[in-house]
Amino acid sequence: MVKTISKPYMAPDTASVKISLTVKKDTRSMKLLTKTMVYFLLIMLPVFTAGAFYLYATFNKEIKHETDEELVNDKLQWMRYLDTATISNPVFAINTPEFNLQPTDKPVQTKHNLKGVNIYQEPEDTYAPFRQLTQVITVNNRNYQLTLRKSLIEKDDLIKNIIHVMLAAFGGLFLFVLLSNWLISKSIWKPFYASLDKIQRLQLNKLENTVFDRTATHEFNQLNAALNNMTTRIHQDYTNIKELTEDAAHEMQTPLAIAQSKLELLLQDDSLSETQLKGILTSYDELQRLSRLNHNLLLLAKIENQQYPVTDQPDLCTVVEKYLSLFEELIREKELQIHAEMIATAPWPLHPALTDILVSNLLGNAIKYNYHLGHIRIHISAQTFSISNTSELPQIPSDILFQRFKKQHNVYTNSNGLGLAIVKKIADSYQLSLQYSYETGWHTFSAGIYSAING
Amino acid sequence: MKVLIIEDEPALRNSIQEYLTHQGYICELAEDFKQAIHKVNEFDYDCIVADIGLPLGNGLDVVKELKVLESKAGIIIISAKDSLEDKLRGLELGADDYLTKPFHLSELNARVNAILRRKKFDGNTTITFNEITIKPASKTVLVHNKSITLTGKEYQLLLYFIANQHRVVTKSALAGHLWGDEYDQAGSYDFIYTHIKNLRKKMLEADGEDYIKTVYGTGYRFG
Repeated sequence: MVKTISKPYMAPDTASVKISLTVKKDTRSMKLLTKTMVYFLLIMLPVFTAGAFYLYATFNKEIKHETDEELVNDKLQWMRYLDTATISNPVFAINTPEFNLQPTDKPVQTKHNLKGVNIYQEPEDTYAPFRQLTQVITVNNRNYQLTLRKSLIEKDDLIKNIIHVMLAAFGGLFLFVLLSNWLISKSIWKPFYASLDKIQRLQLNKLENTVFDRTATHEFNQLNAALNNMTTRIHQDYTNIKELTEDAAHEMQTPLAIAQSKLELLLQDDSLSETQLKGILTSYDELQRLSRLNHNLLLLAKIENQQYPVTDQPDLCTVVEKYLSLFEELIREKELQIHAEMIATAPWPLHPALTDILVSNLLGNAIKYNYHLGHIRIHISAQTFSISNTSELPQIPSDILFQRFKKQHNVYTNSNGLGLAIVKKIADSYQLSLQYSYETGWHTFSAGIYSAING
Repeated sequence: MKVLIIEDEPALRNSIQEYLTHQGYICELAEDFKQAIHKVNEFDYDCIVADIGLPLGNGLDVVKELKVLESKAGIIIISAKDSLEDKLRGLELGADDYLTKPFHLSELNARVNAILRRKKFDGNTTITFNEITIKPASKTVLVHNKSITLTGKEYQLLLYFIANQHRVVTKSALAGHLWGDEYDQAGSYDFIYTHIKNLRKKMLEADGEDYIKTVYGTGYRFG
């Protein structure tokens, strides 16, 4: 009866693997195993329902058949009894729900007639199903209508039983699928999740150390072999491009140095006119701008490549104080008010060169874009660093805030539009948080060590 | 004072030579590693300006050779690579300073000047320019033997001007000297004018001559 339980486990299809990889961030996506389980149960539900109906029909037929056989058997025994009985009463009639014998004028039938009927039951006030056998027979040369009935009341119990068994089987199967899913995900999918984890932690500059190992599963071996090929190729391309960029940037510095030195020497020439000197100076200044640009782009690339390892934990307060004194004249010239709130020491896990850049870029901007008699607020706690400044400039739209070469204004020609992009790159590459906010004339940049937020 | 310039780019080599010669140094040139090794073995120099990337070898190996020879020469490395490792390695090997290309010739000259002062006289020397006397050890400045008080930046400016006397020094070179890498954070060069104005005022108040001259808005010339 419970034969249908042992359905084979459905093999996961590879298409779903792709889906679970690409829509990882999608909250509507579910684990491959959950998905197969849901599909499996959705398929099993109609199978079980159909099975229940089939069982019901079969058992119903069987019960009818059995009842009919009993009725025929009863009829034969009754006929034998009526034949042998010496009955003085020439005509008689018996009327019970189970046995009914009435005199009739109908001709004698040689075959009995079987059918299902519903008969009213007084105690329960319902109709109950019965099987009924009718035949016209001869007793003492008189014709009688014989009616035998048997209750089919067990049929209701049968349906209940079938539903119970089916529910139990379905529930059992559900638990079985859950358990096997768990076991399968523990063992079979282990290498897959190991590879996935490796891919997620992949860093471009550490590709050469990434090897996807052989597994005991053919498909995963294919996947890992493909991944190995891919990472090797990406690493080669990446190294080539990196070297090209760096070499190009470095190579550019030499001609820049030559041109700049020649112009500097030309500036010494007393015989040149003012116009000529001004032309030379403009070229000289532009060359320097080009060189700074080159320098900053190279810096961005280096930060991105994580070429500044965290070896030291420089004290942020010391760095801020250093730059406050370096920019002292600029602050004094604009007569800015500095409100600094710093704890004694704040070691930050950042390369000293990057700490310098972070502080000088943010502080430099706070001074550069401030107005005369403006204010700068600096706040340093153990894990957060924020600089707020007053400015006449409007709020910076968030979409261009950290973009390269997006200058918010054209008033300050000395800006190359890379300062904030560099700060952002530092934050991204070294797991720092970086936020910008604007409130009634105050621009605030806050950086934080991530562990402060994630605990 | 003898300076050896090790640089493979002839145009840059000549620029450096021209500028330093004008400032009173005797310059010799080496265009590749072999020549450089030969020259440092044959002659004594007071200062060596060495490029890192050289044909036939590396400028850092020249620094090593100088240390083997126990040379007392001051060493300035100039490199197209603004790489921290190179810089640290150079200084570790015994170089005195590191300058990234491109640089201002006036900056290179000021650094050569400072190194020679440190190396040759252990810093115990005085710099004299007419009525101005500077004692670097105590950072005091005397005009007509009368002490004047300068801010840190004004003092740096004066030293820079005297090292680059009679030459036009651009505002950007001055800004780079005073603020280093962060000078583009400054926003404009206007603040240099303020420093120079103050320095000039203090010297004039001490009856010094007005040596700082503005050159057509391109920069300044001292002396």
